[in-house]
Amino acid sequence: MTIPGQPPTANPAALSSVVKAEAVNKYFGSLHVLKDINLEVQKNETVVIIGPSGSGKSTFLRCINHLEKINSGHIYVNGHLNGYSERNGKLIEDSENNIARQRAEIGMVFQRFNLFPHMTALENILEAPLRVRQTPLAQAKAEGERLLARVGLASKRDSYPNQLSGGQQQRVAIARALAMRPSLMLFDEPTSALDPEMIGEVLDVMKELAQEMTMIVVSHEIGFAKAAARRVIFIDEGQILERGTPDQIFNSPQHERTRAFLSKVLI
Amino acid sequence: MYFFDWKVFLQYTWPPTALQNPLIRTGLIVTVVVSVIAQVLGVIFGLIAALGKMSRLVPLRWLSEAYIWYFRGTPLLVQMSLLFFGFGVTHIYNFPTISLGMIAVSGAIQAGTLALAINEGAYMEEIIRAGIESIDPGQMEAAKSLGMNYRLAMSRIILPQAAKVIIPPLGNEFNNMMKTTSLMQVISAGELFYAYTQVNARIFKPFELFIAASLYYLFLTTVWSLIQARIEAGLGERKGVERGPSMMQRLFSGAGKGVR
Repeated sequence: MTIPGQPPTANPAALSSVVKAEAVNKYFGSLHVLKDINLEVQKNETVVIIGPSGSGKSTFLRCINHLEKINSGHIYVNGHLNGYSERNGKLIEDSENNIARQRAEIGMVFQRFNLFPHMTALENILEAPLRVRQTPLAQAKAEGERLLARVGLASKRDSYPNQLSGGQQQRVAIARALAMRPSLMLFDEPTSALDPEMIGEVLDVMKELAQEMTMIVVSHEIGFAKAAARRVIFIDEGQILERGTPDQIFNSPQHERTRAFLSKVLI
Repeated sequence: MYFFDWKVFLQYTWPPTALQNPLIRTGLIVTVVVSVIAQVLGVIFGLIAALGKMSRLVPLRWLSEAYIWYFRGTPLLVQMSLLFFGFGVTHIYNFPTISLGMIAVSGAIQAGTLALAINEGAYMEEIIRAGIESIDPGQMEAAKSLGMNYRLAMSRIILPQAAKVIIPPLGNEFNNMMKTTSLMQVISAGELFYAYTQVNARIFKPFELFIAASLYYLFLTTVWSLIQARIEAGLGERKGVERGPSMMQRLFSGAGKGVR
């Protein structure tokens, strides 16, 4: 709570924004799941998004790396319009290879880990650097082993995902995303599928990471948000209802819905 | 009362004597080689059709649907006859003999193999698509989020996992394929059943000869079942997944120790 708050609309020229979302709207059929979302995330900033399930927070995260399409608005990642090009005010979806290139710069960690079950922990980490970046094997391997050591799993390099606990799998998944040296990390409820005793080991890795990475984290881990987030965003029914420092959001929420939500989460 | 001719039966069943007959020797080779080639091509056609059917492009989906509809909805025997006789008489394609070094591959073998492969593809499509669709969509998302394009994600992430689901039914398809090659008899393609019908035309002992022919098919399918069991056992082991005893181990307990 000692981390200074950043007014959400401020955009000091000194800080380069990694993510900039402008008036993003998305529909699933007739369901309006994202309503005019505006958000800017600065370099090395960690933003935690909270909100009830079905509020659109995960959908927004998935829009950032174009796993979901948007219906209107703009999402810039590192200054580039992500997944689209704009012609005469219309969004035109990029070519598959361009989208893939942009995604390579964005790491994503999923609720259900999504490790590749037919590959060992190390192979999971090496796959993208070798196949997408064409990194030489020796270099990729050294880097992969360093990342495994960093998440505390050096001894598990030859284990298959089904031989690892949920917490270990999620740490491998984080290492796998980091292996692409992304400039942005997205975490989609990374601890929701974990047994309680394993949540801590994953959050510890994330806290350490938050000191040097730009991260957007969808999570209900209030402890993590207080320790690592610079800003907290509350989304409800597809809208950002409130934003502020962890201190502002958790200790003096302004919006009634935020208070109602927190009273259920903070026990 | 029919007198069973043991002499003929044994002569055309016991391999050292039966395989002295060049028709039968060649027929056995043709049956095995055609089965393998038609199955491999069938898997390729099936994969193309499966990817087509899952494509975002509507014309590709329609093309795949039409292919499957026609080739699953009509008899293979008719398809084969149409391809060989029909295409020949209209000069769409005559299936000229191709010589590969020492071996001459007759038009009938080419047409038969192609018909078997195209027909098989229409069935493999469903098996392959079911395999691909059985993989958690999160796998594709994880691959994409790492910057892989569709091709890379398919070939490195999805298909290797789908293979585990596809291989058991694929083995059964190959078993069927070896038996189905006998339909090529109607276009005189020189496979195993054709060989026996030719011998029968000469000595007219259909009961003995066709039992002998059936035993050769039984031999082929049984050998394949054993190979298949080993392949499936190996598939499970590589992932550290516990598997029951393989068919080899079940059949010859102890003999399967060296099997991995």
